[in-house]
Amino acid sequence: MIRSLPIAGRVGLFFVAAWLLLAVIGPSIAPHPVGAVVAPDVYGAFSAAHPLGTDYLGRDMLSRILHGARFTIGLALVAALAASITGTTLALVAATAGGWVDEVMSRLMDTLISIPSKMLALVMVASFGSSVGLLILTAAVSYTPGAFRIARSLAVNVKTLEYVQAARARGERLPYVAVVEILPNMVNPMLADFGLRFVFVVLLLSGMSFLGLGVQPPNADLGSLVRENISGLFEGAPAVVMPAIAIATLTVSVNLLIDGISGRARTVEA
Amino acid sequence: MDDKNPIRLSTSDQQRVLQALARGASRREVLKILLSMGVMAASAGSLVAMSTKAHAQQPKKGGRIRAATPSSSTADTLDPAKGAHATDYTRHCMLYSGLTQLDATLTPQPALAEEIRNDKATVWTFKLRKDAKFHDGSPLTPADVVYSLNRHKDAATASKVKSVADQFTEVKAGGPNEVKVTLAGPNADLPVILAASHFLIVKDGAKDFSTTANGCGAFKVKEFKPGVRSVFVRNDNYWRAGKPYLDEVEIIGIQDEAARVNALLSGDVQMVMAVDPRSTARIKATQGFAVLETKSGLYTDLVMRQDAAPTNNPDFVMAMKYLIDREQAKNAVFRGFAVVANDQPIPPSHRYHFAGLPQRPYDLDKAKFHLQKAGLVGSTATIVATPAANGSIDMAVLMQQSAQKIGLTLNVNRVPADGYWSNHWMKHPLGFGNINPRPSADQLLTQFFKSDAQWNESGWKNEQFDQLVLAARAETDEAKRKKMYGDMQVLIHEKCGIGIPVFLSFVEAHSSKVKGMGSIPIGAFMGYTFAEHVWLDG
Amino acid sequence: MAEARPAALPGWRAGVPARWRGTTAWLIANRIGSGALTLLIVSAVIFIITGWLPGDAAQEALGQSATPETVAALRAQYGLDKPPYVRYFDWLVGLLSGHLGQSFTASMPVTELIAARLPKSLVLAAVTAAVSVPIALAIGIVSAMWRGTLLDRALNIATLSMVAVPEFLVATIAVLIFAVKLQWLSALSNAVDVSTPTQFFRTYAMPVATLCFVVIAQMARMTRAAVIDQLSASYVEMAVLKGARPARVALRHALPNAIGPIANAVALSLSYLLGGVVIVESIFNYPGIASLMVDAVSNRDMPVVQACAMIFCFAYLLLVLVADVVAILANPRLRHR
Repeated sequence: MIRSLPIAGRVGLFFVAAWLLLAVIGPSIAPHPVGAVVAPDVYGAFSAAHPLGTDYLGRDMLSRILHGARFTIGLALVAALAASITGTTLALVAATAGGWVDEVMSRLMDTLISIPSKMLALVMVASFGSSVGLLILTAAVSYTPGAFRIARSLAVNVKTLEYVQAARARGERLPYVAVVEILPNMVNPMLADFGLRFVFVVLLLSGMSFLGLGVQPPNADLGSLVRENISGLFEGAPAVVMPAIAIATLTVSVNLLIDGISGRARTVEA
Repeated sequence: MDDKNPIRLSTSDQQRVLQALARGASRREVLKILLSMGVMAASAGSLVAMSTKAHAQQPKKGGRIRAATPSSSTADTLDPAKGAHATDYTRHCMLYSGLTQLDATLTPQPALAEEIRNDKATVWTFKLRKDAKFHDGSPLTPADVVYSLNRHKDAATASKVKSVADQFTEVKAGGPNEVKVTLAGPNADLPVILAASHFLIVKDGAKDFSTTANGCGAFKVKEFKPGVRSVFVRNDNYWRAGKPYLDEVEIIGIQDEAARVNALLSGDVQMVMAVDPRSTARIKATQGFAVLETKSGLYTDLVMRQDAAPTNNPDFVMAMKYLIDREQAKNAVFRGFAVVANDQPIPPSHRYHFAGLPQRPYDLDKAKFHLQKAGLVGSTATIVATPAANGSIDMAVLMQQSAQKIGLTLNVNRVPADGYWSNHWMKHPLGFGNINPRPSADQLLTQFFKSDAQWNESGWKNEQFDQLVLAARAETDEAKRKKMYGDMQVLIHEKCGIGIPVFLSFVEAHSSKVKGMGSIPIGAFMGYTFAEHVWLDG
Repeated sequence: MAEARPAALPGWRAGVPARWRGTTAWLIANRIGSGALTLLIVSAVIFIITGWLPGDAAQEALGQSATPETVAALRAQYGLDKPPYVRYFDWLVGLLSGHLGQSFTASMPVTELIAARLPKSLVLAAVTAAVSVPIALAIGIVSAMWRGTLLDRALNIATLSMVAVPEFLVATIAVLIFAVKLQWLSALSNAVDVSTPTQFFRTYAMPVATLCFVVIAQMARMTRAAVIDQLSASYVEMAVLKGARPARVALRHALPNAIGPIANAVALSLSYLLGGVVIVESIFNYPGIASLMVDAVSNRDMPVVQACAMIFCFAYLLLVLVADVVAILANPRLRHR
């Protein structure tokens, strides 16, 4: 299976697997507790004692990144999956049922898209406090309508192709048409969209840290790590650069893997 | 040049040198002029140094600067009574003048009130300046002062200082150019209280502050867009002759600290306040900029409610107080821009500060001892922190680490800044507060520590303390007053549910072209009054 | 359908058969109706969720110095002592008669506040769209045409990395390099004077570039995916067998059928540009409506929050309508509904 992936896909798989592993075992292998101030020097450079430097309070960055990866990956993965799956399902229902079902759902989704996600996050956190469950829910709610919209336009497009029309002419019922005929033809763009949803949730989390929201201290997700150490940017402190690189490798590798998989899926299908 | 052999230049020669300097002559050109006058080369050199330095301190009229503050929103207001934060206070101090003004030692100086007399500190008479005029040209009259002070008592004004103004039982005109203020009880600090930006004088009957302001201040409104920017131009009829020096001042709000500092370093603004201590290194390293630190009585305090568990247990309170690593807070959180405090609110620079109070150390053993006495070892507590209280989140995290070592689990609950004061402050057993410096010790203790005070953060009740507050307020003998305030500090230190780790400094930065900046520890930007003192040079 | 005579359509569409002319006009009319419904639902939803927020405008205005009497007085002034459904109804009535109400915190009409900021948001969004859409389309089409090659991989990684970096990091780095170190551009973007092209560039270059980093990826990737999907269809094979050049195949045959999902992705990305740009507005001190809304939420200034929500919704509906019309016009099969 791995052999059929192109090189980029394999690279993506490697990094994704590495990040998933870190998400699970990260906190156990971290050399220091996430909140301990261990160095007198803030924004310390790379050193033997602190391989990724120290942060703005003098805490070890390696430990903070290992702890933070779990939040970023966990939150983003769950929220993006929820958003993509919910959006695609609702879109299939809307596209195949048509009529007023389609109308009502589209109107509801339009409503949700019109509310800027950062504003929604602000209101949710201010009203209900900042817990992991709430953050996942907020991110999922923010990004489901986008997935819905794109899935629906894809489904509507596919619906007009010959074999779908043939299936309907045969008298196949709607759920069958939706799952067997339409869905497989949407899979590739929707996978690509999922990859992007994942990135958007990671970005939403880091955008929230700009507004002062996010997971509770002393924990911090990768975006918050970049944000709280931003004043080290001038000196090129590892404290701000390393979490940004972590985010970049994570999101790029997820998308490379998805591209690899979707490329393979296309060759398998007739 | 030395005192023994002063070089005497004739008046016309001195004129030549001064004129050359006014033209912007360089050191070399001045040197040539001096040599041509026959001054010996060696002495000429030092004379040049002295004259250019002396000239550099001469204020120059003209120029425009842009200053950036951290907050600016549609809530920006031109009504002094509603001033909510540093940007508002700065605006108001530019547009309006008050009866008194604070100097660098926080001593009230006469401003619109030339002379102040008092009878047993209960009936105060203010004699107003005759030459002060409002921006619309009308002169300052007692009616304006009466209206300005009385409007705070009206609930419809929604004044931030209503509780302070409630002690004015009567404000009325007491003769030509005189205003008489009768207080509910003796208060020796009235001149200090009236120096606050909320008590600046507006025109009699003024109700609409939405687009323009009519005050006696050094500047007039040119443009006011709440949440965007304010532009003010020099008031040429300002009662302080010769001031202000600047032609125009623009105030904008840049909420993101990194953006604020970048704006300064790229030349887009000339002054910024609320600089993160971690940015000071790079500001100092850049040519043409300076950092200014003003030690003050601003503090972020740990609030332990006396009406909730576990903080109603005095041993738990003691444990928490010993758990605060003040040196670490000062160094790690504030990078040295702070002064270690001793769990009482009067800062070392204040004249009533009691230096004899032994400094409470960071002592994990004592903390553990008190925690055991309270029977709370192994328990969990939640501490509420917010960006609205400077440094509270970082201090909470540090306390969490220390608490782990003595068997106490502290969970940090970070809440957003908006809505903190209405919804979280004083509502949780363990939380944080943030108190701005107040020049009047009486005002500070009355508003935040007296049992019946609305903002009695910890909810403590101490009769002896309450009695001392009232006695000190009326006391005019300085020595006795100081002793009373000393006793109150000891009481707070030992019995109150408030932990004060450090006093914070105001950290600001400006371009070296801005001259005349100083410190008035009531607030940033020279106690918000920078605009009438600074000038541009270079 | 042919009996329904819609208003005369401009230009070339008048020469188009009545059968599908009715479809597009019907679509637009339908959209106006459902758009109004959506706006109503949005206003109700926003009212409800902001009602969850603790505190209100009176408490926020008084902050640390609130006392029960001053809060009560201010509440009465703002009309906050009335029950929620009354307040919502009052606002709705006001909206229908053209009044957006009075801002609590700024004590000025909401329309004034918005009129000062909306044009600026629109300019930023328009410039960003004008720059990002062509770039995204070009990247997507080129990647699709040369899929699997090194160019494709490189473009892929480049766009992904661009969107992965947090906005505030991009903006801060840009300001550090171009404003502080090089002093070429302005760190702040609320300069009043943007009359000359140079001024305009100096002011807008960095905010637009930062926003492009965020929006290009989605549009480019969707373009690539949609075009690739079309490129594997049988009619494309047919065109290739007929000897059409790759560019012609991509642009004339594949692209028109891929326009539906592409247009939707573009609409979604661009709708972000009005309401989601809080960070850019904050860092560059740009007075737009995204930060107006966030401030209004912090100050619990309900009339302003409602008005901003209406604007974002309206803009989004407009963009989506344009996207759907474009999709229908481009894909003949969708014209018969």
